[in-house]
Amino acid sequence: MRTSRTLGIVMIAPAAIMIFLFYLMPAILTGIFAMTNMSTATGISGGVFQVTQGAVNRLGPDMPELASGIAEPRFVIDEEGLAALEALKLKPGYAAELRGQHIGEVFASRREAERVIKALKDRPSTREVKQISDLFNRSVLNTRFETRDALIGNLEKLGFRLKPEEQDKVARETYTGWVWTTDNFKVIANSPDMAKIFLNTAFYVAVTLMLFNVSYALFLAVTTHYMPPATASIFRAVWLLPRITPVVIYVLMWKWLTWDNGFISMFMGQFGVPPKNYLLDNAYNAWFFVILINGFIGASMGMLVFSSAIKAIPQTHFHASEVDGASRWQQIRYIILPQLRWPILFVTCYQTLSLLASFNEILLSTRGGPGRATEVWSLAAYHTALNNYTGNLEYGLGAALALMLVIIGVILSLIYLRIFRYDTLISKPLIED
Amino acid sequence: MTVLPILKSAALAAVLLTSTAVFASAKDVSISVWSGGSGPNDNYRVDAIEIAADILEREAAIRGEQLNIIVQKTPYSGWEDFKQALTLAAEAKKAPNIVATGHEDIGPWAQAGLIVPAEDYIDLDAWPISDIYPNLMEISSFNGTVYGIPQDAESRPLFFWKPYMKAIGYTDADIEALPAKVEKGEYTLKNVLEDAKKMQDKGLVQAGYGFYPRTNNGPDYWQFYTSFGGVMEEEGKLVFDKAAMKRTYQYFSDLVAAGVTKKNHIGMPGDQWWKEVATGKAGIWHGGTWHYARLVNQEGLKDFFDNVQFTLIPAGEGGKANTLTHPLTYLLMAGHDQETTQIAANLVTIASEPRINALHAIKSAHLGISASETKVDLYASNRWASEATERLLPHANAMPNNADFGKYWTIMWKNMEATWTGAKSVDAAVNDAEAELKSTLGGAIVIR
Repeated sequence: MRTSRTLGIVMIAPAAIMIFLFYLMPAILTGIFAMTNMSTATGISGGVFQVTQGAVNRLGPDMPELASGIAEPRFVIDEEGLAALEALKLKPGYAAELRGQHIGEVFASRREAERVIKALKDRPSTREVKQISDLFNRSVLNTRFETRDALIGNLEKLGFRLKPEEQDKVARETYTGWVWTTDNFKVIANSPDMAKIFLNTAFYVAVTLMLFNVSYALFLAVTTHYMPPATASIFRAVWLLPRITPVVIYVLMWKWLTWDNGFISMFMGQFGVPPKNYLLDNAYNAWFFVILINGFIGASMGMLVFSSAIKAIPQTHFHASEVDGASRWQQIRYIILPQLRWPILFVTCYQTLSLLASFNEILLSTRGGPGRATEVWSLAAYHTALNNYTGNLEYGLGAALALMLVIIGVILSLIYLRIFRYDTLISKPLIED
Repeated sequence: MTVLPILKSAALAAVLLTSTAVFASAKDVSISVWSGGSGPNDNYRVDAIEIAADILEREAAIRGEQLNIIVQKTPYSGWEDFKQALTLAAEAKKAPNIVATGHEDIGPWAQAGLIVPAEDYIDLDAWPISDIYPNLMEISSFNGTVYGIPQDAESRPLFFWKPYMKAIGYTDADIEALPAKVEKGEYTLKNVLEDAKKMQDKGLVQAGYGFYPRTNNGPDYWQFYTSFGGVMEEEGKLVFDKAAMKRTYQYFSDLVAAGVTKKNHIGMPGDQWWKEVATGKAGIWHGGTWHYARLVNQEGLKDFFDNVQFTLIPAGEGGKANTLTHPLTYLLMAGHDQETTQIAANLVTIASEPRINALHAIKSAHLGISASETKVDLYASNRWASEATERLLPHANAMPNNADFGKYWTIMWKNMEATWTGAKSVDAAVNDAEAELKSTLGGAIVIR
């Protein structure tokens, strides 16, 4: 018993590891990212401490003395710097010449200090110039410190002894990396655009799901059920084409159809209608095509599931009903539909989640346009976190958007399970008790 | 510029010395260079690095060193995918050595440590860098440090299709005088709308083709904000001028309402736009100096100067005529050893020499980066480069290098697009923009 249990764990381990790595980790990481302000500007791997002009401005109101004391760059040729320079073991002439001719000189910018260093007789290379000028830097402005202690230590050297809470404030205002925050959710909650995108998403999912992924799929399954098998196969194969065509090519064909120089424009041109971009002409057009593009792909999946479910209904039910004089409609209403409850639940649930998360067809066709009219939640997350014109990738905000999608998906699944009475579907049949 | 403890510096110096010793023998170096927004005319953004590599190899050979540089070139035609690829590659420590990108990326990338300061590797006081226009060097700096070396300059004019201007009553002399009138503020954005309307009413262009703007987001739209008196940044702080932004949104909304610009213009296929502009389907449009290259080289508009007049972007209410320069800069990416980055920096320096940079400037119809470049024969004898430099560049603004500017831009644009397409009223869009700017940027932006 013990060994078999261990064996079971060993057998399941590869799958468990896979599930953890590829299913749970992305969700967990999304959750973690969502609680940060991570973006292009903060970087992902952490930041440094840098006293920028902006940081000085922010420190100004609370610590005016510190702010004014660190607001200017200052380079001094002093003994401390010369000793450090000697320790660097570059050419010995550097230190000697600086000591002899420039000791005590003060420069108001790095550029000026470096001009003196560059003018040394043994002209140092550009990188040596930087190394040397760093040694004479007697200010903290614009210097990047790897650690908080390095910054505080340098401030101390400049004569600023800060209390611990002041140190915290300085560290906070000068840190360039990301920090933990819940602001992403506030931004989402307060943004009128996000409300619009939420409604877009609800509209898109509901309409595509009801019209195509379920109703139309059901219609196809039922009609092909009553066809001769060969004809039915041809019909089903045709409806599978949108799904098996690579999505880029499939959407490109829709674009050819709808562009200014496309098929519809050419056709309408015969009747004197000026050409226009039917895909992006207005929000209604865009939605019409976005739903058709997605619906035709989505319908095939439901069609397959429902067809096979109808096949699984014992033929005797149909024979018996025909003996009783049932019409086709009555067969559908009283035999097929009741037995399709589980497949319909499955397709509804599965397609809701996949529609919520899928955006590639919209990205390829309208890119969320015109004017963000067809921007859905997942596309907004993609645009926010990974792809936009300004290159300002807001990983934190994008992850928060994605996280909300995960939560909405889970809630919807629970609601579906209740509505379709999942417990009765999986309870043991009474007859076998 | 990171402050290293002395011990660390000493160790680093020792490593450097030893590596220089190794360097004296044969050395293969692979330098990768990426560029964004680079179409068929912009190949010298990456090719210039290859030319520079050849020169650097020869210089090394004369010094008795054998240096073999392999340049890997990756030009991207667009911006979105380029910035995505580059940012993620850099975060994964797989960044290229050199990248040519818009100067506005310097802020966020420098803050995140994705790029290293160019001034750490390049002597700014030495030729050819010392010769580059100071305002371009200024645009390539962030937090008082020079991060990039300007790769090109440009400016963004308003174009008029001359035959249609004549058809609505302008004489040749009027058209000739138009640039001066625009500069003085006598011909304004209001006149643009009126003239576009006249062209349509006369049946010269189809509805929606009177004023035919850029088809997607771009720095261009900040020019209109400037025309209406807006300011992007003041003393290191971003500025959202509510009234100016409202006038800007209102203007595009008015263009659509008057029927001279299409409501669904944004997002139309780019190729179609180019073809239509080159063949005189549009009356008035705006673009950049580099449009000249595409119109003449790719779109077959041979008699450009007979057909097209160009001016600054005219003034609107509360502002003045202006244009925008959006220089690309060569940046050195972090994550490489110092030796390789030094070679990359040397390549950038050589590529910035006037004759090499002029290849890009003239082929792509951008503007030069230094005064001496304008004296290179190729540049000096080019009518477009000399006229555009003289007429536009003195009035050029640039977008600010501010780590938060990208956020501002995204919010500004999406609300502009919403008013343009009629999804939001102008008031709602301005208020939404204000609310979102307040919640995302807080104290980093001045709202007035």
